[in-house]
Amino acid sequence: MSLDSDLWWAVARSEEVTSEKPLSVDIGDQPVVLWRDNQGIARALEDRCPHRRAPLSLGCIRDNGWIQCGYHGWSYDGESGRLKEIPNMKDQQKFPPIYKANAFGVSEQGGFVRVCLNPKAEAPLRADPKYTYCGTVNVSCSHQEYLNALYDDPNLIISIRGVRFSSYLMSELHEEGGLLVMERNCQWHPLHWPSHFVAEFPLTLLTRTHPLTGETQLTLRDEQFNELLHAVLSPVPSARGVTAVRWRAELGVRHPGLRGAVLRGINPLSVLSSVDGTKLRVTKPTVSLHGEDLRNAMLEGSPVTNDQTVAA
Amino acid sequence: MLEVADRSVSHDENSATTSGGSPIAMNAINRWVPHDIVMRDSWFPVAHNYSVTGKPVRRAVYSNPIFLWRDNGVVVASEFHPNERIARDKSEYTDVRGRYPVMEHYGVVWVWFGNPLAADPVHLPSLPFLPPKGGLPRHMTSTVRFECSAPISLENLIDLTHADFLHADVVGDERSDSETVETYYDSETVTMIRTCVNKSVAPVMKFFSGIKQPTQNVRQVIRIYLRSHCAIAYGRFTPGDDVPLFHPCTPETRDRTRMEMVMNTSNAGLMFRHVMPKAGYKVSRQDSYMTSPQSPRYMRHTDRKDLHSKFDQAGQRYRMAMMELADRQAKGDFAYRDNVSADCSDIIGLRKELFQF
Repeated sequence: MSLDSDLWWAVARSEEVTSEKPLSVDIGDQPVVLWRDNQGIARALEDRCPHRRAPLSLGCIRDNGWIQCGYHGWSYDGESGRLKEIPNMKDQQKFPPIYKANAFGVSEQGGFVRVCLNPKAEAPLRADPKYTYCGTVNVSCSHQEYLNALYDDPNLIISIRGVRFSSYLMSELHEEGGLLVMERNCQWHPLHWPSHFVAEFPLTLLTRTHPLTGETQLTLRDEQFNELLHAVLSPVPSARGVTAVRWRAELGVRHPGLRGAVLRGINPLSVLSSVDGTKLRVTKPTVSLHGEDLRNAMLEGSPVTNDQTVAA
Repeated sequence: MLEVADRSVSHDENSATTSGGSPIAMNAINRWVPHDIVMRDSWFPVAHNYSVTGKPVRRAVYSNPIFLWRDNGVVVASEFHPNERIARDKSEYTDVRGRYPVMEHYGVVWVWFGNPLAADPVHLPSLPFLPPKGGLPRHMTSTVRFECSAPISLENLIDLTHADFLHADVVGDERSDSETVETYYDSETVTMIRTCVNKSVAPVMKFFSGIKQPTQNVRQVIRIYLRSHCAIAYGRFTPGDDVPLFHPCTPETRDRTRMEMVMNTSNAGLMFRHVMPKAGYKVSRQDSYMTSPQSPRYMRHTDRKDLHSKFDQAGQRYRMAMMELADRQAKGDFAYRDNVSADCSDIIGLRKELFQF
């Protein structure tokens, strides 16, 4: 899968990246290894030792912050990817510039570690809110189909405690500030009037999605426009058609009554680790078709810049 | 005739070299695709002799089925199971009855894969530390499998620097006062000799041979027979014991390898004699941890060249020799230009007084 090399992908939550053990992730067909160096800075290299192609993620992190291949012990600097040391050749401190693993751009903000395959790309500035809830799932579904499911029926991929997503939209998918934005009507769950007979919906789910990475900000609002829940969902295309999804969420204003209390129970947001294929197959593509048209129009028009990426 | 690889193959990226075959460019060596190499006209070790009884057992070489059983005590190797309803043509690798040339030697059953008319015991690799008629205790043998292509496994073996790192808890770390590596080759073999002075004592010897000194001198020889995908690993440790290992890497399929291992520890003390052959179970899993994800990355051609250090000389030579031989075979030349059955005792540094049969 060929991806735009200037995109920033939220491939890990900050707490997943440590100096104890390397972390293996993918961006499309590109395996990436992540770790923290001895200054706590997150680093990303291709997950491939240029010596004999062993995964660097099977190696270890040295005290000086270099990553060491587990096969022959070649050690690499995280910032440049340059080879720094070969065991049994410790008297040789310098190696030709070609002796390196490909390094990628890394940016850490808002509890996410984002990686760009272009090491020279500039990371956009973002706010740094705090999130209480978080998780990682790997879903056996392609990246675009995952986003299509989010657009056409979020029940396929997420659930919010005490909330049911209806099939009715308050605002259809449209482009706003370089993002694809829509607002879906929701109801409290389980007791509710059938949605097709409802005059007023008590809740809406606002989603703002980057058209290429699919990184999505979700906001649940009540009829008073109180923001009850914020979340960031970051789906990343990974190996073998899997989509890796990192997410963070935080509760907002408390909605009065029992329903508001239910929402504030343990784990208000769940991101599902699998998509029900039987339901997916018969889900009608409506919003996703708009999404495809909008993406194509946006790509033909002005390019989507990194300034327009989503998460706060 | 053995030639010495006295010039590092890593220094001259653009030169070609030839050993009686077509020139192989250095760039090709650093981008080799071992899955594409299929060797023919060779004896492949497929079973310990005790595994073959009156009841057929199944083996494979490059996915070609081989059924083994004994008929009045004599080994039979057939591409068809005796109960098989034959619904396909027999292959070109067997005689009119579908039988492979087969022989027993060194306690191992060998099958000739290639032109059956060209089978000749003179092409059986020399393994001078194994009794010609077999008979070593079974605890000195085992079967180990690798989830990688056979050449990847052999390249792993001939590059011993990985052992200091990946197997440090068994064979010791990389610390030594000095280390030299020599590489010799001919058209059918590659031999690497590594000599270390005052190397950290291998933990397995410290615990099971009772070696109290912190260091030992080590002479390790890896000799690979290219066509058979077999290797000898002969380690001489002072203080310590000689550890001769028969390490075949039979390509059951192009990306799965079977090793019918034999380690002759007859001359070692009681504990080491029994424990050391079992180290293969641990060491092989450590190797597989790396070669298993590594192998698929060599299944397709890539423009990216592998990098190397001076310690990769033997491995590079192995790649080159395999590619030259494969290239020659692809052109229809299957002749042996060097004698693999010639006694290699002197080459591997065998102490003959310890291994007399």
